[in-house]
Amino acid sequence: MNTKASVPHPTKSAGSARSGLFRRLARDPVALVALLFLIVIVAAAVLAPLLAPFDPYDTNLRMRLRPPGGDHLLGTDTQGRDLLTRLLFGARTTLALGFASIMVGSLIGTSIGLAAAFYRRLEGPLMRLVDIMLSFPSILFGLALAAMLGVGMESLVIALGLSTAPPIARVARATATTVMQTEYMDGGRVIGLSDATLIRRYLLRNCAAPIVVYCSLQFGETILLAAALGFLGLGLQPPIAELGSIAAEGRSFIFLAPHVSTAASLLIFTIVLSCNLLGDAFRDLTDPRLLP
Amino acid sequence: MTGMIGTRSASFILALMVAAPAATQEADNVVALRVSDTDRYDPQRSTALAAAEVLYMVGETLVTLDHDLKTVRPGLAERWEVSPDGLTYTFHLRRDVSFCDAKPFTAKAVVGTMDRWLDPDFPGVSKWKAGKVESVKALDDYTVEYRLKQPYSELLYQMTQFNFIIIDPDQATALKDDFGVAAFNGTGPFCFQSWTPRTETVLTRHEAYRWGPAFMTNSGPAKVGRIVWKIVPEEATLAAALQTGEGDVSFAVPPWALAQLQSAPSMQLLRPQAGFRTHYIGMKITRPDLTDRRVREALSLAVDQAAIADAIFFGEAEAAHAYYSKQARDFNPQMNLDAFGYDPERAKSLLDEAGWIAQADGTRMKDGNPLSLVFYGFTSESERQMAEAVQGDLRKIGVELKVELYDPTIVWGKLKTQDFDLYQMSYPYLSAGEAMNLYFLSSNMPTPNRMNWADPKTDQLIDAGNRAITPDARYAAFAEAGAIIHDAVLWKPLVNENLVVVAGPRLKPFKPHGVSGAPLYNGLDLELAK
Repeated sequence: MNTKASVPHPTKSAGSARSGLFRRLARDPVALVALLFLIVIVAAAVLAPLLAPFDPYDTNLRMRLRPPGGDHLLGTDTQGRDLLTRLLFGARTTLALGFASIMVGSLIGTSIGLAAAFYRRLEGPLMRLVDIMLSFPSILFGLALAAMLGVGMESLVIALGLSTAPPIARVARATATTVMQTEYMDGGRVIGLSDATLIRRYLLRNCAAPIVVYCSLQFGETILLAAALGFLGLGLQPPIAELGSIAAEGRSFIFLAPHVSTAASLLIFTIVLSCNLLGDAFRDLTDPRLLP
Repeated sequence: MTGMIGTRSASFILALMVAAPAATQEADNVVALRVSDTDRYDPQRSTALAAAEVLYMVGETLVTLDHDLKTVRPGLAERWEVSPDGLTYTFHLRRDVSFCDAKPFTAKAVVGTMDRWLDPDFPGVSKWKAGKVESVKALDDYTVEYRLKQPYSELLYQMTQFNFIIIDPDQATALKDDFGVAAFNGTGPFCFQSWTPRTETVLTRHEAYRWGPAFMTNSGPAKVGRIVWKIVPEEATLAAALQTGEGDVSFAVPPWALAQLQSAPSMQLLRPQAGFRTHYIGMKITRPDLTDRRVREALSLAVDQAAIADAIFFGEAEAAHAYYSKQARDFNPQMNLDAFGYDPERAKSLLDEAGWIAQADGTRMKDGNPLSLVFYGFTSESERQMAEAVQGDLRKIGVELKVELYDPTIVWGKLKTQDFDLYQMSYPYLSAGEAMNLYFLSSNMPTPNRMNWADPKTDQLIDAGNRAITPDARYAAFAEAGAIIHDAVLWKPLVNENLVVVAGPRLKPFKPHGVSGAPLYNGLDLELAK
């Protein structure tokens, strides 16, 4: 992968590099397992309404905290709902939250990063803003935002997006600064292309690969943050199933009915681990210079 | 030489090992654990239960309430008379009482306490509990005359509450805002030693104390030298601390932990004879979908409160079928309580009758709108579980409940608004009359009368009950008012929660007191096992 050499058609080169990347990924067994696992989880989450054996909202207090086995494969939760169903729907919510948040985060982060690299005058203020945002632990930042914006899916996505944006902005700026020094950027300027065209056609497309790789690494982090907010009660309101809040509701009964918290926590753990392994593999397989 | 040092350091280490647990558990020390702290220990300026728990130990009221929570007994006043018109109460004070600083207790302290509390410029709380006071005067050093502008049948019962604890008025004047923060001079079995907010409050034995109420086993002095009230903000940690012996006693143990503690042979679960705390769902009857009584009755019939009592409270609560306990004073056993059972089939037919037609997916529609209600509640664990259970039950009859749970810091503000249909809460009370005065008077809208129940007949009956001079007249008025408010289906009563005190092996078994949710009461009956 060498974007610098391919001046006339930089994007095409990046595209073929990506397909090579997938071929090389197939040779990494750990990453492959992680990828397969994620595909299964995502498929299960997407198809949850079809796969789930029970209604995720059908409560029955008299059946609460039943251990795994019998009709309920994984037992029941604190309201007597089928835990397997809740986990399927919970994974659906958590993955959707993570995905939406990383989209919002990468949109904000990339915009800041590219603007900082393209307009040198903005670099100082924008990157200091990012530094300020980075100086808060992301969990604290997310907590404060979630508390400020109130409950609900939209505000949660905004809170999570804003807390993932700063590191993405840094990566975007770092790559964009390198791209800015290339001749085709100067060439584009000389032939009179507008700023918008330059950013969209040349800068963004040549920065996309490392940003996407970085976002895949951040995805696990975002899911973890989403689950943490759910665990702390700042996530979605009941009865929506969300992995973090399922883990939280089971916490009180960890001695009486350990299956609730354990199952939810294990699922979060494996999803985040797979994301991280996959992100690592992506990073290793792409040009190591792209991410310092 | 080396050997000596070796022995010495060995014994030093041994001493440390022995001393380490002893640091928290001194011989004559009892550690009580609780979840939250108070804002201050000023009986006339705090509404916090956390204040009551400590104030009952360091201060006393003129009259006290027996374990049954119905019989008024002497306290600082050894006897009293009520004039036939119900306007003048004359209290004869004990002559053997002194404050912690050895100053004798006289009528001056009573007058000073009441004058300070009822002063319009003083930021006192719960002043309504005192009734419409004309004057509080000292007839001599040991006689107090309490005059009312109108009769107030609840007065003696209210006087047993912690807001009526007699303070040292001179100290309050001297300390101003620091009163109840830096120091508190009272007549109770314990003396206020120190308070580190959100950490601990330390009380020491009042050595001169000999005047405990007759219904306590011990009349004084207290049998333990020190009581340390420690804050453990997390319920699960608190339950664990009791098992490890870090704490000796607590009544803030969550229901789910009780089952676990019960199986530990060294732990004692003690219950007061009476104690009133009811959890309920309130319905705002001015909201468009809730103006129809049939809808309210349907909501009420759809919720299975017995399942909540069994599952969420692990049996440490009984299903409630009225707004207040059947054991509470002036409960009317003739009331029709059919609307408060569990009958989802009847609930469905009531909704049909009211024009809410079930659709193919189960939701109820009327004029193109779904039956969807907004529910406000608290974020704490058991309240969240109750909210989810109610949501699940209502879903079964086709009612969508939008649950919004708020942190205790914001929920009270939210509950003042008109933006919700249902809300969930629990409240402590002494009698049916007190519950009605609090919740069902039209003058208490928008809060705590969040239902917007404005009924002149109810107002008039509650007022008549308050003014009643004889117990019969009081009962007649409150019983009729009770029947009216229950007939209107303004609440869905959920459960009457049992107050459970968990005590560790260091304490001898004792009889908790149900007053004001402060079951250790004055601490006189606390005693170490050895």
